[in-house]
Amino acid sequence: MLSILSSEWFKLRKSGIIFIITAGPLVGLIIGLLPSFPNEIEINQWYMLVLGINLTYALLFLPLITGVLASVICRYEHQAGGWKQLLSLPVTRWRVFTAKYMVLIFLVLIMQLLYLSSIYGVGMIKGFTDPFPINIVWKSILGGWIATLPLVALQLGLSIFFKSFAAPFAVNVVFTLPTILVVNSEHFGPYYPWAQPFSMMNIGGGTDNVFFVPWDQLLIVVGGSFIIFFFGSLQYFYRKPI
Amino acid sequence: MIKNLLCADFLKIKRKGFWFLTFLGPFGVVALQMVNYGVRKDYLLQQSNDEWGYYILNVSTFTPLALVLGVVILTSFMTSVENETNAWKQLIAFPVTKISVYLSKLTVLALLLFISSFLLMLFTLGFGMILELQGQIPYGKLLKHSFYPYFAVTPVLALQLWIAIVSKNQGVPIAVGVLGVILTYSAYLLPDWMIWKWPSLINEWDEPLINVLLGVGVGSLLYIIGMFDFVRRDVK
Amino acid sequence: MEYILETKELTKRFGKEEAVSKLDMKIKKGEIYGFLGPNGAGKTTTIRILLGLMKPTSGSIRIFQENLDTERISILKRVGSLVENPSYYPHLTAYENLEASRKILEVPKARIQEVLNIVGLSDVTNKKVKGFSLGMKQRLGIANSLMNNPELLILDEPTNGLDPSGIIEIRNLINRLANEAGITILISSHLLSEVDQLATTVGIINKGKLIFQDSIDVMRRYAQQSISIKVNDSEKARNMLFSNGIKTNYENGRILLPELADMEIAEAIRILVESGVSIYRVEEEKRSLEEIFLQMTREEEDD
Repeated sequence: MLSILSSEWFKLRKSGIIFIITAGPLVGLIIGLLPSFPNEIEINQWYMLVLGINLTYALLFLPLITGVLASVICRYEHQAGGWKQLLSLPVTRWRVFTAKYMVLIFLVLIMQLLYLSSIYGVGMIKGFTDPFPINIVWKSILGGWIATLPLVALQLGLSIFFKSFAAPFAVNVVFTLPTILVVNSEHFGPYYPWAQPFSMMNIGGGTDNVFFVPWDQLLIVVGGSFIIFFFGSLQYFYRKPI
Repeated sequence: MIKNLLCADFLKIKRKGFWFLTFLGPFGVVALQMVNYGVRKDYLLQQSNDEWGYYILNVSTFTPLALVLGVVILTSFMTSVENETNAWKQLIAFPVTKISVYLSKLTVLALLLFISSFLLMLFTLGFGMILELQGQIPYGKLLKHSFYPYFAVTPVLALQLWIAIVSKNQGVPIAVGVLGVILTYSAYLLPDWMIWKWPSLINEWDEPLINVLLGVGVGSLLYIIGMFDFVRRDVK
Repeated sequence: MEYILETKELTKRFGKEEAVSKLDMKIKKGEIYGFLGPNGAGKTTTIRILLGLMKPTSGSIRIFQENLDTERISILKRVGSLVENPSYYPHLTAYENLEASRKILEVPKARIQEVLNIVGLSDVTNKKVKGFSLGMKQRLGIANSLMNNPELLILDEPTNGLDPSGIIEIRNLINRLANEAGITILISSHLLSEVDQLATTVGIINKGKLIFQDSIDVMRRYAQQSISIKVNDSEKARNMLFSNGIKTNYENGRILLPELADMEIAEAIRILVESGVSIYRVEEEKRSLEEIFLQMTREEEDD
């Protein structure tokens, strides 16, 4: 397992992945620095900032960019018979899939941490004096990461299925765009997997739980969609004729 | 020569889902309003006396996003058709100029997006009629909101085409595309000079036509720069 | 002499590396020009430059007596090509693939069926290329290169990855095209044996330099023959021959006689028989063209 992981990592090093995972935090930084967040209400300055950037970052960027990462990680295999070569090595498909998945979620985690640092950076540049709400921000960062776990599993499956970059991206867009409407709905918002990154990063949610969404929602929606997407994709990968 | 290339390009996009996406974009944009009005029609109708105007405004909140996404996906699809078995070398070894190859690709994309915009107008009109909105149908406004964004998105199209054609790694144009989508989504925060703001038709002077003219002008410029870069490069 | 294709000091540099170096290539009308060299010698780069896919760093190219740099379009109208791995659109059928080319080339529709017949793909006309074998894709690539009835056909490793029967098939096809249709053909390969029975002229490229360019007959002359003789007592035999003024070499238990006329060989054998040496075997050894080719490319490396 370790050897597949390190090989995946090795293949990624020259694929421009750095550019992709720094793009999000950069967007956060730029949007955060735009002088458009009025701070009229008496509230911790950090809250306003995080609320503002999260709106774009978690709603659209995060679910879309994870799909791009999934395509990048399958790029070598789709070129000139790479799947043949990889799977004729003494490895099981289960391990190949899991290794790719683990590298992906690790990359997303790094991206989340970079995003955290860009929030902090914006605050520093703007000279915030309020205390940094570390607990709340942590919840948001980790919560967002957990919420993408099922999406990443599906996106990995789609990227294995489609040869081109554009096709899985198109599918991804079709599911991500409705989120903009769905998050406004009390009925559908909690149950739509693509809305979960936003819900779990949205620091306005209930603060009693460990995360910003209730445990049952987390377990049922995120956990449930993870099981469906992960094993569904894996199942497909097992049957894929190479 | 350009006519021949266009015919060939239209043949090549068969069975690749181009036409489906061309339909899906505008349909999706109106479908979101079907959901919106389906769930809370009464509330939405109360928001404004100008029911048609308010409805068109609602539809057009998603138009820029869908357009930019469409540009990103279609350009990437377009180049993947040639990239898949590196058919560029075969295409350029034909008696054609690289300028016309590039122009043909752009023209196909521009045509598909135009059809999308036209469909958007039809779907918007159709669903508005189904909703039985009160008042005169504001055809002028309908036309504006269907086609102004199309012209204003030209620079993004030119940019994406350029990046997609010269990148070996298709992750690059898609990643740039995602950035563009995010910027388009945050259009109201952006300064006026950013091309991703233009499809939203927002500007300091409250005159959408400026975005259209700027779009076509800057788009042509970016197109020419991209084309010359393509001509200059060796074919892989 | 009029050349169909002529390059002068053609050079292509990638950064510091010189992929093609001062190439003077000359192809006469009606020739089958075998363009040989080991992998990475600069064959494909040269061909890409000849088709205008890459711009040379320096040097000039004339095809049909016209400058490629300025008359590219009118030249390419008369050229057919297949570069490296065949390019195709997997989601389209064989017919549609050729139709996409036909639209650009403005040739009559009937030509599609003609070229499919020529390469023997007429029974898979309406199948998607996705499911084709490598050999079929390669033949489709050749069909594509024939669409515009070219006067010059440029084929880059057309037999790459084909099985022996596929190679023979393509070879026969090329022969037919050259002999019946009078097409001038440039065919590149890293194996001499592939163009051996085909080419009339050979150009050998190594490390970007053209180290040999002449007719195949001249190249064959390099293939000196020698006679090898196996006897029971080699030392005695060599001494006997030497004292009669015939110099020999000794290799792997065999005596090697240099290129000699028939009478001289008869003389040598007579000497050996009369001196009581038992002769086991008399064989003619021919250096294959492949060996010469390898030797040429090796010699270049030693420099």
